[in-house]
Amino acid sequence: MVTTIARKDLQLLFRDGRLPWAGGVVLVLLATALLVGWERRAEISTERAAAQLLDYDDWVAQPERHPHNAAHQGMHVFKPDPALSVLDPGIDPYVGSTIWLRAHLQSELTFMPAQDATGLQRFGELSPAWVLQILGPLLVIVLGFDAFSSERELGTLRQTLSLGITSRQLFLGKALGQAMAVGVLLGPAAVIAALATFAGSGAAIGDIAARLGWLFLGYSLYVAAAVFIVLAVSAIVRSSRLALVALLGIWIATTLLAPRAASDLSRVWYPSPTRLAFNAALGADMGHVAEEVWQENFGLSTQWSPELPLDKWGLALQVDDHAGYGVMDRHFAELWDTFAAQQRAQEWLGLVAPVLAVRAFSMGVAATDFSHYRDFSLAAERHRRVLQDVVSADLVKNADPRGTGHFDYRAGTDLWQHVPPFQYTPPSVAWAVGHTMRSFGVLLATLLASLAAALFAVSARRAA
Amino acid sequence: MLEAKNLTKRFGATAALDSINLRVDPGEMYCLLGANGAGKTTLINVFLNFLVPDGGEARINGLDVTRHGIETKRLVAYIPEQVMLYGVLTGLENLSYFAELATGRKSPDDELVALLSDVGLDRTASSRRVSTYSKGMRQKVGIAIAMAKKARALLLDEPTSGLDPKAASEFSDLLRRAREDGVAILTTTHDLFHAKQTGTHIGIMKRGSLVANFSSETLSHTDLEALYLQHMQA
Ligand SMILES: Nc1ncnc2c1ncn2[C@@H]1O[C@H](COP(=O)(O)OP(=O)(O)OP(=O)(O)O)[C@@H](O)[C@H]1O
Ligand SMILES: [Mg+2]
Repeated sequence: MVTTIARKDLQLLFRDGRLPWAGGVVLVLLATALLVGWERRAEISTERAAAQLLDYDDWVAQPERHPHNAAHQGMHVFKPDPALSVLDPGIDPYVGSTIWLRAHLQSELTFMPAQDATGLQRFGELSPAWVLQILGPLLVIVLGFDAFSSERELGTLRQTLSLGITSRQLFLGKALGQAMAVGVLLGPAAVIAALATFAGSGAAIGDIAARLGWLFLGYSLYVAAAVFIVLAVSAIVRSSRLALVALLGIWIATTLLAPRAASDLSRVWYPSPTRLAFNAALGADMGHVAEEVWQENFGLSTQWSPELPLDKWGLALQVDDHAGYGVMDRHFAELWDTFAAQQRAQEWLGLVAPVLAVRAFSMGVAATDFSHYRDFSLAAERHRRVLQDVVSADLVKNADPRGTGHFDYRAGTDLWQHVPPFQYTPPSVAWAVGHTMRSFGVLLATLLASLAAALFAVSARRAA
Repeated sequence: MLEAKNLTKRFGATAALDSINLRVDPGEMYCLLGANGAGKTTLINVFLNFLVPDGGEARINGLDVTRHGIETKRLVAYIPEQVMLYGVLTGLENLSYFAELATGRKSPDDELVALLSDVGLDRTASSRRVSTYSKGMRQKVGIAIAMAKKARALLLDEPTSGLDPKAASEFSDLLRRAREDGVAILTTTHDLFHAKQTGTHIGIMKRGSLVANFSSETLSHTDLEALYLQHMQA
């Protein structure tokens, strides 16, 4: 019964030209998006690998010089481009992927991670994820807005029900029919996307496959929820035209407007400081702590006071750096926790606008979301501290004993090689998925709620 | 097989059905006559559980249709006054789909083509899209759907409306054969002649009430016409 109805609906969609047309448009868009992403990645990843090597080579190839000068040159580290960034570049295009590790400064990629760049803002960079998130529901609407209402208008609903078909069977048949229609369109696209992801990436096949699997599951929940919502409206609204208008309204509100509102709301609930305010607060705290340690260790009331004996210069550098670490950690943790809280709030708002949940889920699984950005930034900072520690330990050992000759000291390749190249292992699939469980849960809840709504709508409507 | 007991249905102030009692046994064909708006379609809709009665009960094979809507619908085949089909599908595809819903299995195409030609739709016609069909042609597909269901009871609401005389008379033959096979038939019609010719029982409805109810053998065509007009004028 159910499959009979589904097959017939699919046939109708083919015959009336909707499936070929709407599907064709979405497929072309997806293919274009995929090409764009693939090209972008091809460019980026080779460039990055080369740049990182070059940069480390530059570090090692430094001439003999005072180590602190070397630390000021520092080195650049690059966030590896995750394989799935072809499908969902996430926040990567906004935050960039290069960090300059150098003396004194913890550098973030960009102050605002802009994970919540909204639908329209992201229009510029066409990605498969964007097409699915924004146009996917539109496709479902085009295919299904009249699924029930047209049967009522044609009178075929009566004919069908008179045969002893229950409205639930009819609903399941229609849901399956919609799923098949979407599957016919997106199935091949999914396969192509998967192949494209594997093709251009050096990452482990198992890792990519697992991520693709999760991504597939997440988007399936999202599309299925859209199908149920569309069927519910089609069942309850009087005419097809009204159903279309209502659904387009819902689409505009929940996929175009809601993300903007959600991002504003999350900032109201969890205000984040401006870059200026953040730097001021960080600077002030660093100053206080520095004052304390300089007083305690060197009996000086100002940092880098000219009265500092040169045989303590290296030690001072070490002490000063270490004193700052805790302060930086605290300030950045607080800032990033605020961003994370904004992010969480937006994910919860996914209960109202599922696009928020699927967006977070998708970039989380693709390893292009805020939590991955944070992980990378922390790793980069750890490496920066290794660099600083190597430099100041060397100064304490070899330069300080020279007393007034401190700045005549020169170190060479031996020391530079003490700083290892930056090696970053991105978080595992399990880690990524663990961090997206909230949005996954929200998607699941949305699916169940929309299913319940559809079942209710279908049973609430009598035949005639 | 089909039974109405004190069946009442009101739409606001108008009583579309006013305490109707009737019974159609296997092998019988009950023809309901009555002016427009007399309540004939309403009665059929109640039997199909498309309308819930305000009083009394309708039973199919002893089962109350309100409480056992799905089971009772599976026991009957229904042909509406206007058969509604999918315009973008062919007659054959429509029949194939609805027959599969009705019987739960896919019938071979040649069986369905034969069924369509039985009701007067030839092969070329049945492979055309229904959007190109005349009303009578759609009606024929509806008849084929009902036949494919092989139900023990038929609920027919002016099934021959739009059929040409030849097709109408062929349909009468189909009904006669079904009746002789023990099918119970309840049909509404404005065609006194066919009612008298194929029906075993005739009822006349007026403003929701069954005002006359007799066996068709007991009176001639002219008597029926006189009786009908007499009721309509009163
Ligand atoms: N859904 C409805 N809402 C309100 N009134 C209705 C509804 N359906 C039928 N009626 C009224 O019930 C009465 C009986 O209508 P019904 O359709 O049963 O007549 P009928 O005998 O089938 O007429 P016809 O010969 O024209 O088909 C009419 O007065 C009609 O206006
Ligand atoms: Mg009628």
